[in-house]
Amino acid sequence: MKFIVMFLEAHQPRRLNNFRYQDIGTGKDYFWDEKNRDIIQRISKNSYLPTLTLLADYKVPITLSFSGILLEQLWKYEPSVPELLKEYLRNSGELAIESYYHSLSSIWNPDRFLNEIRKDMEMKQNIYNREFKTFRNTEMIYNDNIDKIVNNLNVKNILTEGTDSLIWKFNPNFIYKTPHGHNLFLRNYRLSDDISFRFSTREWNEYPLFSEKYLSWLSNSPGDVINLFMDFETFGEHQRKETGIFEFLEALITKAKDYNLKFTTVNEAAELLYPQREISIQDYISWADIPRDLSAWLGNELQRDLFEMLKALSGCIPDNIYNYLLTSDHLYYVSLGTTPDITVHTYFNPYGSPYDAYINFRNILEDLRQKYCNKN
Amino acid sequence: MLGWELPPFFAGGLGIHTLNLFSIIGRIENITLYIPRFTNEAIRYAFRVKMVNYNPVGSPYEKNKEFYQKVMDYNEILINEVSKDHDIIHMHDWITVPAGIKLKEKYGKKLVFTVHSTEYDRSGGFYPQERVLKIEREGMLAADRIIAVSHYTKRIITEKFSIDPNKVTVVHNGVKSSIFSSFTKNYELKNKILYFGRVTPQKGAKFFIEAAYKVRRYIPSAKFIVAGEGDQLNEIKSLSYSLGLENTVNFYGFVSEAESVKLYLDSDVFILPAVSEPFGMTVIESLSTGTPAIISKTTGVGEALNHVLKADFWDTDKIANYIIAVLKYRKLREALGIFGKFEASKFSWENTALRTLEVYNSL
Repeated sequence: MKFIVMFLEAHQPRRLNNFRYQDIGTGKDYFWDEKNRDIIQRISKNSYLPTLTLLADYKVPITLSFSGILLEQLWKYEPSVPELLKEYLRNSGELAIESYYHSLSSIWNPDRFLNEIRKDMEMKQNIYNREFKTFRNTEMIYNDNIDKIVNNLNVKNILTEGTDSLIWKFNPNFIYKTPHGHNLFLRNYRLSDDISFRFSTREWNEYPLFSEKYLSWLSNSPGDVINLFMDFETFGEHQRKETGIFEFLEALITKAKDYNLKFTTVNEAAELLYPQREISIQDYISWADIPRDLSAWLGNELQRDLFEMLKALSGCIPDNIYNYLLTSDHLYYVSLGTTPDITVHTYFNPYGSPYDAYINFRNILEDLRQKYCNKN
Repeated sequence: MLGWELPPFFAGGLGIHTLNLFSIIGRIENITLYIPRFTNEAIRYAFRVKMVNYNPVGSPYEKNKEFYQKVMDYNEILINEVSKDHDIIHMHDWITVPAGIKLKEKYGKKLVFTVHSTEYDRSGGFYPQERVLKIEREGMLAADRIIAVSHYTKRIITEKFSIDPNKVTVVHNGVKSSIFSSFTKNYELKNKILYFGRVTPQKGAKFFIEAAYKVRRYIPSAKFIVAGEGDQLNEIKSLSYSLGLENTVNFYGFVSEAESVKLYLDSDVFILPAVSEPFGMTVIESLSTGTPAIISKTTGVGEALNHVLKADFWDTDKIANYIIAVLKYRKLREALGIFGKFEASKFSWENTALRTLEVYNSL
């Protein structure tokens, strides 16, 4: 018996308004909440609701994460989603804990990072009445230092990327130990991306991907666990329902046992299996872009300029604004990418170009600086 | 090849294109260029030049009656001067179309038509001359293949002139990059914003002045430079005076290529708010010096560039926002300049020549 450990990450930022230099000092809203509402309602309809319904119907145990700021927006714009999530969690599955604002605080401010995780934990425990033990940082950003910080909390399992340099030595289909004794799960990016990126790609030589073929790949992949970590929005949003993605997911759920495979949550897998060797990771890794490091957010001078300014302004801007500026997506939109990834960046970019995203964010920071930080 | 102008005489965009492109193609194919006799001196080119005994003296951008008549006279002479021993007749813009069509009929040769600009572009959308549109359309219909300098121009050809898109190949222009790229730009603030080009409704000079007016409120010390001449110059001058911009906008008049390199290097940003620009060579020149560019969405070269800022030509609030951002945020200036320079380096006349040869070979 081998376990399919599926983890779906649901997250939406609170996008920033189109903010021109001429808007500075005029009191214009910083957030583009009309757009945020539209996007959240659209994705709920296309993805969150149908996927959760399917998972709840089959009571199939998987691990889900909803970022704190997405849940906040869902309660406001589409409360049927967190309600359905409650329904699903009553019978099966688990929620993962993450940094509430989906920020990069883990790499510059451990206190802020811990506060964000605690806030996320408390919120999720209060609403869903359960304790959750699995942690995944913003965009799977991880190294030994993050393992050390997280040691202050009641966390048992950590998820991260199975980068090329890691899987060279460590088969991602086993559970490992971190230096601080957490269970470490490495994403199997090939098998995950077969669904999330390639499922409907006609140029792919495995197209069309049927459940039998895919399940036989999983079954032939040696190890204890198959870590399929991907965006929740894969189901119904990135891969539209017309592609057959929901039928595919349903077939995986119903046919898994024929291939001696069983769905399980991260935490259940950790309880059933014994972890292999310890892995120490020095440099930051993540699941983003081709380099799988921090370059999707801090890869160019424009991004680093914004990040430095954000750090410098901490403490003077009110929290109810500042915290939402920390969301990594605002920097991701400014990525100039490497050639194959620029299309991914364009797909997710609400401002048209990375330069527009920079100018927008920079103007907002300029407005806030003049308003709250008294520096001219 | 049916031409109109050739450097060092009447060096407009068309002449520069002709010289650069056929200096390369001339080494591979046997090219004869027919042009009006503008000199009796013998100048050596990398291709054969036959000067036709007719000197029109005029610019295709003039709208006057005499110019039209001069074009017709020149074309009449061309029909008799061009010999039959060429495989392909290649015409450039409407000013060589009447002869091209007649020569095709006369000798039964293949006809190629490069569209550098159409009357829709040159008129900036205001009162295009019907008789010129008619010639352009006849040329497009008669041509076996059409070369458009951008997808933007191809869209005009297929949509406004209703031409079969399969007949139209897009070949971007190149740039003599070494002239522009061999200097190192420094990104210290210069407080200078550059317009460089003909001062005409087509190029959108008016929107440059409007943007200057909007920027001045936030950066009173910014200097806006208008380099170039054109039939709208007086109108633009009086517009800028009536907006009280006499200390903000400076008019430099005609500027040579060598001087333009210095102008780019000495500016923070180059603006081309063209109403309709088939290609926009100056954008590539500016980027080649490492100077960021803000261009209209109706500028053809923009379709091949990621590292420029794009706005609608009429959206001077957005253009002003961009100008202020480039002036205020040094990192933005650097990123646009450095990546822009890299991106511009992919435009070369060698590529243009190869693509043009492919069109010849497809006939």
